[in-house]
Amino acid sequence: MRAAGLRPGAPNDAIAGVVPRQVFTPSSVEEAARFLGEATRAGRAVAFVGGGTELGLGAPPRDLDTVLRTAGLDRILEHSPADQIVVVEAGLPLAALSRALAAHGQRLALDPPLPERATAGGVLAANTFGPLRTRYGGPRDLVIGVTMVRADGTVAKGGGKVVKNVAGFDLPRMLVGSLGTLGLVARVAFRLHPIPEVVETLRVGGLSGEQVLALVRALRERQLEPSSVTALSSGSGWELAVVFEGFSAGVAQQRDRLVEISRGAGTPFDLLPAGDASAFRVRHDRIRTGPPVRLKVSAPPASFAGGAREAVSRLTAALGGADVVWYPTLGLAFAAGEVAEPARLRPAIDEARADLSRIGGSAVVVSVPDALRPGLDPWGEAKAFGLMQALKQRLDPGARLAPGRFVGGL
Amino acid sequence: MDPSPGVDKDLAARFAAIVGERHCLSGLAQRMTYESDGLMSLRELPDLVVLPASTDEVVRVVRLAREAGMPVVGRGAGSGLSGGSLPVPGCVVVGMARMKRILEVDLENALVRVEPGVTNLEISRRLAPAGYYYAPDPSSQSVCTIGGNVSENSGGAHCLKYGFTAHHVLGVRLVRFDGSAVDVGGPALDAPGYDLLGLIVGSEGMLGIVTEVVLKVLRKPEATRTFFATFPSTDEAGAAVSAIIASGVVPAAIEMMDRLAIEAAKKATGVDWPDVGAALLMDVDGPVAEAEHTSRNAIGLATAAGALEVRVPHDEAERQLMWKGRKSAFAAVGRISPNYVVQDGVIPRSEIARVLREIDRLTREAGLRVANVFHAGDGNLHPLVLYDARIPGQEKRAEELSGEILRMCVRFGGSITGEHGVGAEKSAYMNDMFSPGDLETMDVVRSAFDPERRFNPGKVIPKPRMCGEASGRLSGDAREPAP
Ligand SMILES: Cc1cc2nc3c(=O)[nH]c(=O)nc-3n(C[C@H](O)[C@H](O)[C@H](O)COP(=O)(O)OP(=O)(O)OC[C@H]3O[C@@H](n4cnc5c(N)ncnc54)[C@H](O)[C@@H]3O)c2cc1C
Repeated sequence: MRAAGLRPGAPNDAIAGVVPRQVFTPSSVEEAARFLGEATRAGRAVAFVGGGTELGLGAPPRDLDTVLRTAGLDRILEHSPADQIVVVEAGLPLAALSRALAAHGQRLALDPPLPERATAGGVLAANTFGPLRTRYGGPRDLVIGVTMVRADGTVAKGGGKVVKNVAGFDLPRMLVGSLGTLGLVARVAFRLHPIPEVVETLRVGGLSGEQVLALVRALRERQLEPSSVTALSSGSGWELAVVFEGFSAGVAQQRDRLVEISRGAGTPFDLLPAGDASAFRVRHDRIRTGPPVRLKVSAPPASFAGGAREAVSRLTAALGGADVVWYPTLGLAFAAGEVAEPARLRPAIDEARADLSRIGGSAVVVSVPDALRPGLDPWGEAKAFGLMQALKQRLDPGARLAPGRFVGGL
Repeated sequence: MDPSPGVDKDLAARFAAIVGERHCLSGLAQRMTYESDGLMSLRELPDLVVLPASTDEVVRVVRLAREAGMPVVGRGAGSGLSGGSLPVPGCVVVGMARMKRILEVDLENALVRVEPGVTNLEISRRLAPAGYYYAPDPSSQSVCTIGGNVSENSGGAHCLKYGFTAHHVLGVRLVRFDGSAVDVGGPALDAPGYDLLGLIVGSEGMLGIVTEVVLKVLRKPEATRTFFATFPSTDEAGAAVSAIIASGVVPAAIEMMDRLAIEAAKKATGVDWPDVGAALLMDVDGPVAEAEHTSRNAIGLATAAGALEVRVPHDEAERQLMWKGRKSAFAAVGRISPNYVVQDGVIPRSEIARVLREIDRLTREAGLRVANVFHAGDGNLHPLVLYDARIPGQEKRAEELSGEILRMCVRFGGSITGEHGVGAEKSAYMNDMFSPGDLETMDVVRSAFDPERRFNPGKVIPKPRMCGEASGRLSGDAREPAP
């Protein structure tokens, strides 16, 4: 290992308040593998950090010796425009990738907040996504291959670099959302999409939750294919933005039909000028990344008129100045705000989880001040936990990869 | 053939007590019906076949199999093309023929909950009156089951735009090696924890028996535009595919057929296609203005790439006939040749023309014929290598050619299988695509689910080539207790 890649840990290297003894920044996958194998053999606990945009997820590590940063693994290894695939190293920031792809009229259809910092490996490991998930799916739907480094330093790949491929077990999907507890995501292959010719955003404000769901249902019934549908809380109601992308004829038709549907429903949409569309996006990103307390709620989409709405209300009631991002077609929402009364937060999360578990949903802490972490379970209960335990035990028998960060203390 | 005597009477009686006498098949003739899947060249007689009717019965069957030390092989319709549900020696086959109910249709949440034995097409049929459908459409969709689709991560012509089975499965119930039943995923996305669902889909029956599935369903698109274009050779057709994709169009499907495949389809279905070197059948769908624009564009690009003729169906009946010509291609090839082997290797689509020329060269060298009919949009080849088993040596040469084509797919940066799975047939080729470390990792993952290797042992993951070449953990793991 090169000395240049190794330095002592500092307070701003902390993961959920735990400062590592040292920070290692490998400059190749082989170097990362060698380091990891040696570290775990010596019993040292290692956690991985990409752009550091999702470090609020998970519990504080039980034990932490080294933070391995992927910042030095930031190359595009292969981009085949004709095949619409790209293979990158894990530490490449999404924005840098986008710039390279845009030169060929292509993009990775993943639009999480903070793309200048969020890395390819990080979004995979944290299952991070943005509004485009509505149409293109999340990381699990766009990843086609990975190279991982296991706790013992074994380098293993799964999937490949063609879009269609069913050879072998699906290691790429296994790693989605695993938060570095099964292995280092070292290289990632993604499928790409063309950059659309036209993008239009339509917006309507002052909606109730029922009205949002009714519009979403009407969109589907009337066979529209939006690329994103995003609601932001505003006062006591919702502001809803629908984005259409594609060729201009198709976008125009869809826009006109949405306007017609929404007039009929008494909730007419406006076409947003580009500047206002990006202001909406900025507000979206601020809610997703800004407030100190943020929770992700997941439930069947239609339950956001019932049980899931209750759960979201319980959470927002326990926060100061709360805001919500809601993806109504996906059944996912992020509630975010300030700490109002610290003592109310945990009971609110427990109650929200009780509501959600009845409808098959969940509430996960995305971010919370370190002072509030003791005794707080950021994940809630995981179904099939025995299987998850077995998987972790097999791939990281010494529990040296970010121990304790994941569900149930894995 | 192995004249396996099957299980003893007492054991058969115990299985019969779980599933009912009529659904426990221990007679030789009955067992023989299950000795192959769609890959008829591989045969193995199971010791017993049971047809349970519920998760609870599957649980009890798996527990008894474990007690009796029998491997368990799940089976849907047996239409698999890689020997996935091929019995293994001494096994009990667990067939899903009685678990084929659609348990719940929830259009508010755009999902259905089904038993695994329901056929793929049945779901779309049930949803059609409401204007919904289940997107992945294997050509075998009228017979193959959802359980089989989940296990193989099956694809179909329209997966280019809509994705494969993995993109449409929201949850499963899985019966594990110890007879425990676990729910993974469900109607809500992003359940806390590992993406076990991602591992289960495509696991080829090796992680457990799937007894219930929650699937995403889609609203039908407003419009579909189809065209059929002919070309002098696969070179021009391949160039047309590349040009269409490069223009930013995401077609719902682009299928390619070569001269021999066209000839076979004509004989079988009566489509009045001309004798040409290659043809493309393409669908675009979506809002009507979008579909019309993209289809006009694509036709323009096909013409520029050298299309001889472009046909647009006049009505839905003509469109259905075109698709019938494509979807019945495998059966059709059966008419022009007594036997064939088919593989489903994948190549980067930009290499289609080059690879097809290479296949042609290898075919001529082998003195055989190959019909190509495949999912061109995603580079998923289906070379049907024709042979006559009565001619000594031909079968062997056909298999060798098929294998050579798979290795070529890997050399071109592709995969040995795009949708049919590795199964019993292609595990030997896994070494061409994956390193010992890759394969050992997959085996470790498998052991986490099934430490006893109860389910479908011997499939997918090749045995280490020789002692010492792959990690010793491969065999060690089998005897470890469950953690
Ligand atoms: C003419 C023809 C055309 C085809 N076209 C396509 C195509 O276009 N695309 C495509 O992807 N495939 C295609 N196939 C292949 C095949 O139909 C698919 O692989 C299909 O998914 C198999 O389903 P099945 O119900 O027949 O499963 P089987 O063949 O019975 O089993 C397949 C695998 O699934 C496992 N399995 C089945 N049910 C369960 C369960 N409940 N729990 C656990 N494991 C289970 C089996 O053990 C086996 O490993 C085609 C086959 C034929 C014969």
